[in-house]
Amino acid sequence: MKIPASVQHWIVPIAILFAWEVLGRAALLPRYLPVPTLILAALYEVAADGELFRAVVISLYRVAVGFALGTGAGMLVGLGAGLVPGIRHFFDPLVGFLYAVPKIAFLPVFLLLFGLGHESKIAIIAFSCFFPVFLASRYAALSVGKLLVWTARNMGAPRSTMFFRVFIPAAAPQLFSGARIGLAHSFVILFAAELMGSQGGLGPLISEGEDAARFDLMFAGIVTFAALGFVSDRILMAIRRHVLRGQIIGTAEQLVR
Amino acid sequence: MITQALRRVERWYSIPLLLLLWQISVSSGLIESRLLPGLGRVWTALATDIGNGVLPYHAAITLSRAGVGFALAAFAGVPFAAAMARSTLVRNLFEPIFFFGYPVPKIALFPIFTYIFGIGSPSKIAFAFLECLYPIVVTSYLGFRAIPNPLLWTAENMGTPRAIMLRRVIFPAAFPGIFTGLRIALPISIIVIVLTEMIGDSKGLGYYLAVSGTRFEFANVYAAILIIGMCGFVLDRALLLLRRKVVHWERNDLSENH
Repeated sequence: MKIPASVQHWIVPIAILFAWEVLGRAALLPRYLPVPTLILAALYEVAADGELFRAVVISLYRVAVGFALGTGAGMLVGLGAGLVPGIRHFFDPLVGFLYAVPKIAFLPVFLLLFGLGHESKIAIIAFSCFFPVFLASRYAALSVGKLLVWTARNMGAPRSTMFFRVFIPAAAPQLFSGARIGLAHSFVILFAAELMGSQGGLGPLISEGEDAARFDLMFAGIVTFAALGFVSDRILMAIRRHVLRGQIIGTAEQLVR
Repeated sequence: MITQALRRVERWYSIPLLLLLWQISVSSGLIESRLLPGLGRVWTALATDIGNGVLPYHAAITLSRAGVGFALAAFAGVPFAAAMARSTLVRNLFEPIFFFGYPVPKIALFPIFTYIFGIGSPSKIAFAFLECLYPIVVTSYLGFRAIPNPLLWTAENMGTPRAIMLRRVIFPAAFPGIFTGLRIALPISIIVIVLTEMIGDSKGLGYYLAVSGTRFEFANVYAAILIIGMCGFVLDRALLLLRRKVVHWERNDLSENH
């Protein structure tokens, strides 16, 4: 008998969870690894008294604003750099150097500038989002097919039409790829920044659980955080599918990344 | 000759210009802030801590951790990706873990890693391994899957044994994909190590950076940022050089763009 692929997909994750649960119940796992059912119970506990909801709202607010600012700026400047050599020559060396630096390295600077609240997280998330989005947009604008540009120009398309009806649609798939990398960076930076110094948010929830040796609470925070990152990515991909439906140019490439 | 020099100026003027603006605004007293020490002080901090061996010490720790994590991920990930591409069973079992797990922010798992592996090097290396494994497996897997079938059929038709198939046909054909994955993973390894060192450690560039920040020694913060950036740049160039050696038949492609 052959097991269908859709069932095979579930074998490994379920086996891991099952083994975890059984080993944990048999007291074979260390104390810092609570079993999945206990984590679910803890998740329910923090969800019921509203603590989880407040933390999620704070973290999501930081990620959303930071991501929107960084991605918006990255796309604008990146497209500008792709279209205008002057802008390109100004930003290329800067981005070339800063891209290799983990943006979290600037956290001390942002903390002193903006304090422990929302602003420092938003600022460093926006800062780290900017670079991948800039690079993707810059290459996207540069690689828009010459034939498309010539054709539109030949038919007398004005500059605004060129930008909104030719460059943006042709670059859209790569813009989304850049935004996706930016989104992934946002969550990493958010987590690190919240863990290192923050008021409110999921990071403190996790470290409080850790400090109180309530490892089920710590895991509840971790699971929530991972789920937020995953769902945000799915939403971005759904938007991408919706925006790019029917588009052939540039969408043939990879599904992942 | 002169136009070439002008073009070079046109392409590189922004960094010197911004540094100049920085220096002018500091030395004219326009900006009085601990955040913006003069360039001279950054240089002094850099030279002092390189001279007394502090920065090289921390950099060596960070680089060795990142290198070990990256190498482990490469040695485990590439063969695994090959297995996933060649066997339906392996693919069905593990594809969801890699493709659904990809967008999960794995940094959330780091606290657990510190419990399992302790707060020193092992947890950081293990975490860098995990973070590097994903792009390496996914990108090499796509590379292996993208091998044109006629290539395989031709080799099979000529009676190529399996071992030679793998070594002479499949791996070389997938090399571009593999290298793309490695190139994505390499900076991730450094980022992850610096980041986890900032969260909690007593050595490494991340620790140096965090400690300098809490002591308000921003000249040292900028010195550390400079060193980290240089490490990333040098490693990336080294990987590109290696790629050009190994994938010698494919010269003009994306790798030249950066």
